[in-house]
Amino acid sequence: MTYYEHLPFRENIPAYALGALDAEEAAALEAHLQTCASCRDELAAYRTTSENLLMTLPPQLPSAALRKRLQRRLPSAQKAARPRWNLSFSRVAVGIAIVLLLALNVFSISEVRALQRQQTQLINQMQNGQMALAMLSYSKTQTFPISSNNVKGSLLLDKEYNNAVLILRGLPPITNNQTYQIWLISSNGDRTSAGLLRPQTDQPFISEAINSPQALSNFIGVGMTVEPAGGSDHPTGLQIFRINF
Amino acid sequence: MPEIDDNQLVQRVAQGDERAFLALYDCYIGRVHALTLRILGEPMLAEEATQDTFLKLWSRAREYQPERGLLLPWLLIIARRTALDRLRLEGRRPILSNAEDPADAWQTIPDADSLSEEHRWRSMYFAVQALSPEHRQVIELAYYQGLSQSEIAKELGWPLGTVKTRLRSAMELLRQEWAQGKRSSPVDKRNR
Repeated sequence: MTYYEHLPFRENIPAYALGALDAEEAAALEAHLQTCASCRDELAAYRTTSENLLMTLPPQLPSAALRKRLQRRLPSAQKAARPRWNLSFSRVAVGIAIVLLLALNVFSISEVRALQRQQTQLINQMQNGQMALAMLSYSKTQTFPISSNNVKGSLLLDKEYNNAVLILRGLPPITNNQTYQIWLISSNGDRTSAGLLRPQTDQPFISEAINSPQALSNFIGVGMTVEPAGGSDHPTGLQIFRINF
Repeated sequence: MPEIDDNQLVQRVAQGDERAFLALYDCYIGRVHALTLRILGEPMLAEEATQDTFLKLWSRAREYQPERGLLLPWLLIIARRTALDRLRLEGRRPILSNAEDPADAWQTIPDADSLSEEHRWRSMYFAVQALSPEHRQVIELAYYQGLSQSEIAKELGWPLGTVKTRLRSAMELLRQEWAQGKRSSPVDKRNR
């Protein structure tokens, strides 16, 4: 490369060292620098000059707040701003104790509710039993025997006072999502629900009052089926018994 | 602060030592902030650029290589680019290439030996002040405002050739001053 070919690149080196060369000229110079050692030396000298300019300014201090702002941006300050979870032994112990107390509380509440349910059932049984005894002592009470497979018992019926009680034993076991449902049977074959029954398994006999929405004289019989928990609008499951009265 | 201390401090910063980081901040904040303030002109903007510079030091400390140069020039190049970027964001100046990458600063840092004496940097300050107003103007617009030669010509209303000539001769004067400063003692310089 002749001196005159070399000259335009060399003249641009000071501006390049300052970062002031336009993009097109900078690209051309960079390509030239790849092959020209003397221009690279020249550039190194001017770079030293240009970067020394960084040091020529007398120090200036910013506001003191800047140091504090910067400290807040550091990880330790950010960790401090977040809630800390110091899992000391005493905190863990207190936490476990609280959880245990809560669990005990929940267990106690469920136990109390179960006892309340049992109490209600026993009261109902007792009332049904008293009702059955009262009806047996009454001369106009009709008794209809029930015998269907292993299920035995009686229907006590008093059409005059519209009372009826079922006394049963030997009901087959049902699952938690099932219930017995009592049906009153009309002369045209319609079934009307007369209540749900979910007996305790440890009782040999159960007595259940029949809740008739109408006068019992409007019906010709009573039956019982196994239905999904909550009951059905009409019989859908296994028939336990049916009697006419 | 001795050079060895800077290197140790930067290594500790790279390991997450905040006290080492604050020690470097206390040592160089004046230099860094002087530069960002010179470039941006407004104290609040300059403080933001200064803060960003030190946050880059915090996050990129492991990229510093002491064998390639002193810490302060590396930091000041990052500060210059950060401040010029802020100028660009303000819509006043074009972006610098690789301005976000502190590693790129190595390409322009002079060797450590050439920058080891602060008195010579001060002599450069006086050398800049000794330039004619026209020469000083092009240097300042190029270096502290990030303008290219054609942008300087447009800004000042000068022919592009005039800008190129003045910039080239200003740099030549500073280069000579630097070379002369390396040959003279500080006492000699003050007596000249």
